[in-house]
Amino acid sequence: MNRSVSKRAFKEAAQGYLFLLPTLFVLLFFIIGPIFYAIYLAFHKVQLLGVSSSEFTGMRNFTRIMVDNRAHIAIWNTLKYVIIVVPIQTILSMVMAAVLNAGLKGQKIFRVIYFLPTLTSSAVLTLIFMWMFNQSGLINELLSAVGLPIYNWLGDPRVALNAIMGMNIWSTAPFFMVIYLAALQDIPSSLYEAAELDGANAFQKFWNITMPSLRPVTSFVVIMGLIGTFQLFDQSYIFSAGSGGPNNSTLTVVLLIYQYAFKNLGTMGYAAALAMTLAVIILIATLIQRKFSKEESLN
Amino acid sequence: MKAIRWFVIVAVMTALSASLLAGCGSGQKQSAGGKVEITLAGWGSTPEETKLLDQVLADFEQSHPNIKVKREVIADQYMDVIKTRLIGGKGPDVFYLDAIEAPGLIETGVLEPLNHYVTPDFDINDFEKPMIQVFQKNGNIYGFPKGYSTLALLYNKKMLKEAGVEVPKTWDELRAASRKLTQGNKVYGFGQNPELARTFFIAQSLGGQVVKDGRANFTTPEVLNALQPYVDQHLIDKTAAQPSDVGAGWTGEMLGQGKAAMVLEGNWAIPFLKSTFPNIDFGTAEVPTIHGKKGTMAFTVGYVMNAASTKKQASWELISYLTGKQGMKTWTSKRFELPTRKSVAKELGYDKDPVLGPLVAGAPYATVWSEGSTLPTIFNNFNNQFVSAYIGERPLKEALQEAQDQANGEIEFQLYD
Repeated sequence: MNRSVSKRAFKEAAQGYLFLLPTLFVLLFFIIGPIFYAIYLAFHKVQLLGVSSSEFTGMRNFTRIMVDNRAHIAIWNTLKYVIIVVPIQTILSMVMAAVLNAGLKGQKIFRVIYFLPTLTSSAVLTLIFMWMFNQSGLINELLSAVGLPIYNWLGDPRVALNAIMGMNIWSTAPFFMVIYLAALQDIPSSLYEAAELDGANAFQKFWNITMPSLRPVTSFVVIMGLIGTFQLFDQSYIFSAGSGGPNNSTLTVVLLIYQYAFKNLGTMGYAAALAMTLAVIILIATLIQRKFSKEESLN
Repeated sequence: MKAIRWFVIVAVMTALSASLLAGCGSGQKQSAGGKVEITLAGWGSTPEETKLLDQVLADFEQSHPNIKVKREVIADQYMDVIKTRLIGGKGPDVFYLDAIEAPGLIETGVLEPLNHYVTPDFDINDFEKPMIQVFQKNGNIYGFPKGYSTLALLYNKKMLKEAGVEVPKTWDELRAASRKLTQGNKVYGFGQNPELARTFFIAQSLGGQVVKDGRANFTTPEVLNALQPYVDQHLIDKTAAQPSDVGAGWTGEMLGQGKAAMVLEGNWAIPFLKSTFPNIDFGTAEVPTIHGKKGTMAFTVGYVMNAASTKKQASWELISYLTGKQGMKTWTSKRFELPTRKSVAKELGYDKDPVLGPLVAGAPYATVWSEGSTLPTIFNNFNNQFVSAYIGERPLKEALQEAQDQANGEIEFQLYD
């Protein structure tokens, strides 16, 4: 090895790392560090406040999840939420994007209008929707105007989660719509022209050209949707004033983690165990999704 | 070569993090002129109330020229922020503490016992006993209540007059009056709050204990029988409703919107009604007796000292001024809170006040909303399940059995070591 070359290489590397330092520092202290700390917490019983103590408890926090009724309810609610919301918001955003890309009159203004909900903070949206879901609010007024039954959206455990679902689909679908719109611009128009020559109608074009071309983007949208919906927190927190009620119907996993981490004393370890469990669930869901779309993403 | 490279990186990283940590550590502020600066943290409140607190603090600074108070407002998630800051060692010197959180925090040892600061002329015996007991443990005092509020019956005078009913004195009269006052689902006789903070004294009115040895104890016949009429009034009589049934946020708003003729609310509802619904002519009365006994809830907030504070003497000066006779008189003079000192209550004449009188009258027999360190777990589960019984989804016993099992399971897990 040539000494001067290695010296220069070293200098270059040191320079590179120097520039990387701020980012490395942030990553290490605010992302990687906390992850390892959370893993440590999940296997301990911790009391952080006052006379702090931590005691190794092995798998106890995880076995507790098996018997914790509220954890089961939270996981079930979250799964139900994911299974209903992700497909609907994906299909809805794809259809909306296709419609807005079809060359209608005034489509630019419609794009802006559809995108507006995404720009509002979810906390503000939730508050506005709570007002609309009110017993004598806008949604019930509309329902009764067309002769449909009205609900106590906020107070009735049977419909409270549905109210959050509706609200969330309405606010996230436009965001994915924009991603779809960008992807639609990339589809070569020659494909559509060829299809037209073959006499394909609008639906056939959508089904046989648009949908297959959008597969990689759909994969992305579904994964982002999965992660986003599994982490549902703020809407159900505001909806139920932090309790997950009525009757645990809006209790989600992240809300439960929050309750154990901050509302109860001495259950930080259990909250960390729940968080790890959620991470594993999301990982599995994502892997399943990847498996289903594997051949598609290769084309 | 590689080793040296790593050595450099590690060294730089260490230096950087050390300097950063050192930067964090030098947060101690020493204000000019040799004054001691202490921080006082509390939650946000109405502008009028904030102005009043500023005035009390200005009075304090004038009489204690060597101390400067820095007021911090934690606008949202107060307890989360306070707990996190206490863990990080950056807690305020003095802060508000709701009575319900007090037992839990006292157990962790983050609060400074105040016994040896108290001087005889502070006159502890002047405080209403139940309000100060919640800040005590094993003979130690960890905080002094800055004020309190009890629940009283707030009623719409016009509605009662039109329906021709007297202000109810007993719970049976309240149910009978509700029948006359209810108009379909437009106006309900009684606005209810189906949660434990408001129904605790009702649940215990037949002699049952909702919390026994730190465990949930909802399913004894005494508790179930005491709560059943409350639910029945909603489900069978249909003369009572919860706020979300009529599109209100809380029962005070129900009364203000004219959707309930009677509600049980605290002191805080009075300025709200006067400013937001000035057209409602409401009266206050003591909570109707339940099974021949008087009962109500009391809510109190205290000033406590951070055990990690480095300026304890100055902090105590502040606490003793704020909860002392002079400070409390100024603080409660605008009626946002009731004075926990008997002498101040007498001096301000609130016991004879037509609106506040019934609230003050409730203080001696009120159940203070605080019951050991496990109460947050217990009431969270109670509230969650009680609602399902309240809306008739399932029988009260079944709902509360589940709430009790869940709460006690959580508590066992929490306490296990």
